[in-house]
Amino acid sequence: MIKFLKLYEKIGIFILIVLASVVLSIMSPHFLQVRTLLSIAAQGTYAAIIGFGMTLALTMKAFDLSVDAVLALTSVFVAIFIPMVGVPLAIVFSLLIAASVGMVNGLIVTKLGVNPLITTLAMMTIIRGIALLVVGGRQVIITDPDRVFRVIGTGRIFGIPNQIYIMLLLFAIFFIMLYHTPFGRHISAVGSNESAARISGLRVDLIKIAVFMLVSFTAGVVGIIRTSQSLIGIPTMAPDFVLVVLTVAILGGTSLAGGKGNLWGTLFAGIFISMIYYGLNLLGVQIFYQIFSVGLVLLFALFVDGIRTRYLAIAKAKGIKM
Amino acid sequence: MVELQARSLRVKIAQQWGSLGLPFLLVAVVILFSFLSPVFRTQFNFLSILRFASFIAISAVGMAFCIMAGEFDISVGSMMALVGVLGASFVPVIGGFAAVLTTIAISSFLGFVNGIFITKLKIPAFITTLGMMFVFRSLAYIYTDNVSVYIDNDFWLYMGNGRVLGIHFPIILMVLCFVGGYLMLRKTPFGRYVVAVGTNAKAAELSGIHVDRIKIAVFVMVGFFVGISSVVISANMGVANPGLLGQGYEFQVITAVVLGGTLLGGGNGSLGGALLAALILGSLRNGMNLMQVSSYWQQVVTGSVLIFAVAINRLRYTLMGQEA
Repeated sequence: MIKFLKLYEKIGIFILIVLASVVLSIMSPHFLQVRTLLSIAAQGTYAAIIGFGMTLALTMKAFDLSVDAVLALTSVFVAIFIPMVGVPLAIVFSLLIAASVGMVNGLIVTKLGVNPLITTLAMMTIIRGIALLVVGGRQVIITDPDRVFRVIGTGRIFGIPNQIYIMLLLFAIFFIMLYHTPFGRHISAVGSNESAARISGLRVDLIKIAVFMLVSFTAGVVGIIRTSQSLIGIPTMAPDFVLVVLTVAILGGTSLAGGKGNLWGTLFAGIFISMIYYGLNLLGVQIFYQIFSVGLVLLFALFVDGIRTRYLAIAKAKGIKM
Repeated sequence: MVELQARSLRVKIAQQWGSLGLPFLLVAVVILFSFLSPVFRTQFNFLSILRFASFIAISAVGMAFCIMAGEFDISVGSMMALVGVLGASFVPVIGGFAAVLTTIAISSFLGFVNGIFITKLKIPAFITTLGMMFVFRSLAYIYTDNVSVYIDNDFWLYMGNGRVLGIHFPIILMVLCFVGGYLMLRKTPFGRYVVAVGTNAKAAELSGIHVDRIKIAVFVMVGFFVGISSVVISANMGVANPGLLGQGYEFQVITAVVLGGTLLGGGNGSLGGALLAALILGSLRNGMNLMQVSSYWQQVVTGSVLIFAVAINRLRYTLMGQEA
């Protein structure tokens, strides 16, 4: 059983993708075309990118529920900044704002001692409120005469949508950060045993703040990609998206128990969710079914994670080496 | 010696939060808005504050038990929407009285499902209920096809709008729920078990308490009270809308319980505090509405109050020299 669970941890998400591919290729003759596959991958980037950030947070045994609000806040601010300071600076500023929300999250968690769940739950409402306040509840249309901004989300290089490159770039950065730097090991250390990490001299508070900033940063990136596609700053953008992000991270094999992140899994889980959406579109059902099915996938992923944690605990108690 | 006195003073302040801090806060909010708005200080308005507070407070009874047991439920808003539309749609078939009972039964059952997931599958409560929050809400949409269910049944409407001796029925319900909850918490073994489980689940388990059963029971209680609130609130609006009913409700309920002095993470808490906190939230909302504060600002304020409430609790326990 333990072997099976270990194996599942590594390749579970691939099995799911293969199963989904078989089903989808039976459902639709168009599924196995390069164009379709690319668009599925491109749709999967949103959840995957924020999923990278969330994976770090879960590794540290924390959560961030404020990501969809940060996404909307970034969308609003980039739309406001573009006419004022031009595209490149607008992107930098709005990403800074996104990251600073993460900093506030981190400060509340570390300095006020409020638990991450409640903090980010409250921040979700607060940030959404601020996004609406900034623009008075309206949407901000972006005029993009030089077509600079829209390239980010709609352009292609060698026929592959830009956002896939952005995702891969962020994946590489997060991968190296989590698995090949002291910072990454520190995140795992805080996640597996916070007090031990504290005693061994890690600056736990700083690490936490940094991780919350990174999560918000990834949310900001997705906010910019999606805004460049719609060319509208939307304060109500992506409601409930946090569910998808958490699902992707947990389905990818990152355990709620903390200490271990699986970025590969997150990447592919993003694509898997996108495949589900594609399948639901084929069926022509209403949008509510999307949320419903993601919720079911989340419960399934939690179920598996729960079983895994329990068996690993039993194995540890029995002294089986893993 | 002086230091010791200062310390004991701090401890006293921390301990008196429930009996002094909250009433003070309530009075402060009421005085503030009475100055700012002439409408606020009318008798009619105080009744409507009470009624608004009752919408939060009824569910806060269940949530208080849940948080005292060391668990957490953020699916209550969506649960309210789902059972509201289900129950309201049954009215033409089975009549008002039976529909109300069915609504409460269904929501108790949904709470039971939450409890099973959390105790038997060992999935942390917050993430289970987060998932359920979306599942319930989307089921409400799917069931109704995003069409509101109108309520024109006298019994159902009475639950939200009826009056007894000039006092709104929800207010009376609120009082009943609190008295019931209080008796259950303080005068029955069950109440003591809940506190024991929340304080130290392992010790409770070892002393022979069925921890899982207690936890499932508190989730059923959450569902039960949410069912009542769902009927009351939908009756008040005259319509059960799958998207609007219970939107952001989990937030208000949790804030009420936490502001009331119950610690996240479990242990003994305060039902009276939750009631006072619900009154504070009700006055705040009512006052801001009268001042025509934009709903976006209200969102910011509600969120901040929640963080403030948890931070205050944390501070109190640090002052008292305990880890919160």
